[in-house]
Amino acid sequence: MIALLVAQNTFREVVRDRVLMGLVIGGLVLLAVTRIASPLAMGEGLRLTVDLGLSSISWLGLLVVLTVGTALVSKEIDRRTIFNLLSRPLPRPFYLFGKWLGLTVALATVAAILGSVLWLVVALLGHGHYAGSIAEAVYLATLELAVINSLAVMFSALSTPLLSALYTLGFFLGGQWCGDLRRLASHCPDGLKVMLESAANVLPNLPLFNMRTLAAAGELTSWTHLGLASAYAALYCACVLSLAAAAFESRDFK
Amino acid sequence: MIVRVVPAASPVRDAIRRRMALAWAAALAFGAGACSLAGYAAAKLPAPAPFEELAYYPSGQALQPATLGHAESAADLAWLRAVQYYGEHRQTDLRFTQMQHVFEVLSALSPSFESPCIFGAFGLAQEGRDFPAAEQLMLHSLERRPRSGRLAFELGFLYFVRPGGRDLRKAAEYFELASRLPGSPASAARFAAASRQNAGDLRMAYQLWSEVRANSPNRYLRELAEREIDKIAEAIATGRAEIAVRRMGTPAVIIR
Amino acid sequence: MPEPNTVKPPRSDRQPLAGERSIPGHARRGVDPAAGPAVSIRGLTKSYRHPWTQKVTRGLEPLTLDVHRGEVFGYLGPNGAGKTTTLKILTGLLKPTGGTAMILGEPIERVSSRARIGFLPEQPYFYDSLNGLEYLEFVARLSGMPGRDATRAARAWLAKVGLGERERQVLRKYSKGMLQRLGLAAAMVHEPELLILDEPMSGLDPFGRRDVRDLILEQRERGTTVLFSSHILPDVEALCDRVAILLEGKLERVATVGDLIDGTAPVVEVHVEGARVFEIPPRLAPVIERSDAGGSTALRLREPERLQELLGWLLSERIAVNSVTPVRPSLEQLFMAAAERSAFQAQSERRPA
Repeated sequence: MIALLVAQNTFREVVRDRVLMGLVIGGLVLLAVTRIASPLAMGEGLRLTVDLGLSSISWLGLLVVLTVGTALVSKEIDRRTIFNLLSRPLPRPFYLFGKWLGLTVALATVAAILGSVLWLVVALLGHGHYAGSIAEAVYLATLELAVINSLAVMFSALSTPLLSALYTLGFFLGGQWCGDLRRLASHCPDGLKVMLESAANVLPNLPLFNMRTLAAAGELTSWTHLGLASAYAALYCACVLSLAAAAFESRDFK
Repeated sequence: MIVRVVPAASPVRDAIRRRMALAWAAALAFGAGACSLAGYAAAKLPAPAPFEELAYYPSGQALQPATLGHAESAADLAWLRAVQYYGEHRQTDLRFTQMQHVFEVLSALSPSFESPCIFGAFGLAQEGRDFPAAEQLMLHSLERRPRSGRLAFELGFLYFVRPGGRDLRKAAEYFELASRLPGSPASAARFAAASRQNAGDLRMAYQLWSEVRANSPNRYLRELAEREIDKIAEAIATGRAEIAVRRMGTPAVIIR
Repeated sequence: MPEPNTVKPPRSDRQPLAGERSIPGHARRGVDPAAGPAVSIRGLTKSYRHPWTQKVTRGLEPLTLDVHRGEVFGYLGPNGAGKTTTLKILTGLLKPTGGTAMILGEPIERVSSRARIGFLPEQPYFYDSLNGLEYLEFVARLSGMPGRDATRAARAWLAKVGLGERERQVLRKYSKGMLQRLGLAAAMVHEPELLILDEPMSGLDPFGRRDVRDLILEQRERGTTVLFSSHILPDVEALCDRVAILLEGKLERVATVGDLIDGTAPVVEVHVEGARVFEIPPRLAPVIERSDAGGSTALRLREPERLQELLGWLLSERIAVNSVTPVRPSLEQLFMAAAERSAFQAQSERRPA
């Protein structure tokens, strides 16, 4: 499929940009730091390593989305490399999908590498049974990054890299409060309730992808959770990319 | 001159509009699906235990460097979560096992953020039925802000309404401190005097009421001070403390 | 809607260039006259509205034009005339305000209309981190070539444009000329039936321009239609079967280069000794343009049939004649004249009644 070509090219670009290498090195350094600091955690060294290891995947991934993802399309427009692509039989929605997919696969690769190293470290500490919970947490973190990436690509298609980064960060922060908005809405009068619930629906439901607390204790989540999170991520990304396609369709490239 | 251009019929624009409409329709369909799933997930999956993440940090001091200069904002966010924590447990099990720690962290992050500490202390003392924890929380907060008249006054009030038995002497001590510090309510001196009086420290109470009579800008307070001074004078003269000392009720907590 | 110019393009008997390599399997494409034009534009317009002032600027007035299959068509105009606008509308990068266009029988609103075209944008940019081979493979596959074919074609075209030894070099290390050649290769790698080139000679040295000219001629020999925009008129004169002149968004004229030049009145230039001071007689003054330069005077006679009269007078005045040369106006001169006429017309239209 033609979008896969764009995805492959995007993946190649991101890898060669050395961004991913920096990400992996950053993650590994952080893991090393957690091991060095673990004696200070008074017996909670394992939890420190797992917690911070998983958090670093999310934070570093977010950093890449905010720096690379938000410039993914706008950079091509500014540098006019997009002329060479869109003058070919490449539908614009497929182009956007390809850009999103390429970066998402890159982020998934890094998450998988860091997750594997984390499991290795934990296994060497005698807790190999953490494999399942770490795998689940990494999978959900990847879904979370895919969702944020879709927002980054959408904003990148419509705006400058700086504004795209700000909007994306805003949605990320707002998304962390989705659950609280829903809980607040349940205690509010009707008009306000509808407003808050609408806001909670528009924002990405990021707490759905957070099982770091369970993983820190080596616990697994339910298949229902994994299934719901996967389906939600797919639908949310599809929605955002469709909106991006609608706006991108009428864009002129002078 | 503004030229109004009515675009001629253009198959290209029509095709673009059709594709845009299709994309919008797809977005709405996917969005509706995502919203339904999110609502279903919120109902079906267990809600995350609130405030777990803050409970993990050893102390506010340890957390502060991690905020990269944004300790105040972090404290604000922590306050929002703390309120939820209180609300959840207030409505369910009335067990606030993490409350002291949570508010200690908050206070350490932002010592100037006094309201949460006061709220937390009274919550602990009353609904939480853990007066020692409440006392510790307020004392630590006051240690961090020794010049805060408000904190001193509220600490005094905490002792004043201690469930199961007021500690009037301690209350008076902090009311007196508050009256000398900036930011305390105008009634601090009066509370100090009344507390001393009802604790039976008549000579000290006499002094305090005299100060109120001499310094208060409020006429009613001055008149009140005058009356209490007369009562105390009579009580001392007759040796009958009950003229000046009033038996105050025992505070209790009723949770509905 | 006015019908476009229907003059058929002449065929040239071009011999292959020395040392020219052909791409294996690149047979000459047959041109079927019944197939319709390669590009058919009807009433195409483009307007821009300022987002704040709402002022509308016309980028392109209603344009009607055909480009025949197999011809090399030059699209001339100064900067800002609307050439790039037209080409970008055809390639889907801009959406027109009105009108229609077809490419090889398919309407431009269909994405599939771009499957058989190759586009070279002005001053093309590429992905810095890719090498030449990777880039050409990528664009070839985007245009529908299967993987292996794309790799073979990419290698062949890199060699053809003189970048064969640099196929693994990253594009950020390419010079401007190399990038332009790569852009041409990218436009041609998938064997398009129609080439749309926006200022293909831009920024190239004379050697680079020669190479591009040779490539365009080779494509014509293969039966590929070439539509290219330029403001370098000698190249257009040398390459094009037909030329369209665009000025301020309006199509001024479409004709063969020969017709354009033949249609203008020839001039005879007579160079005489300039040492002597002399005055042109009143009867000849209206048809003569005089310019003095150093020790020589040039007299441009606009009515060549009165050459004998002029020579007779010069002889009678004992003015030495150095040379007599018939001068055919170049495309450049025609273009400048057309531009001046257009500017004059626009000014008259703007003057209040």
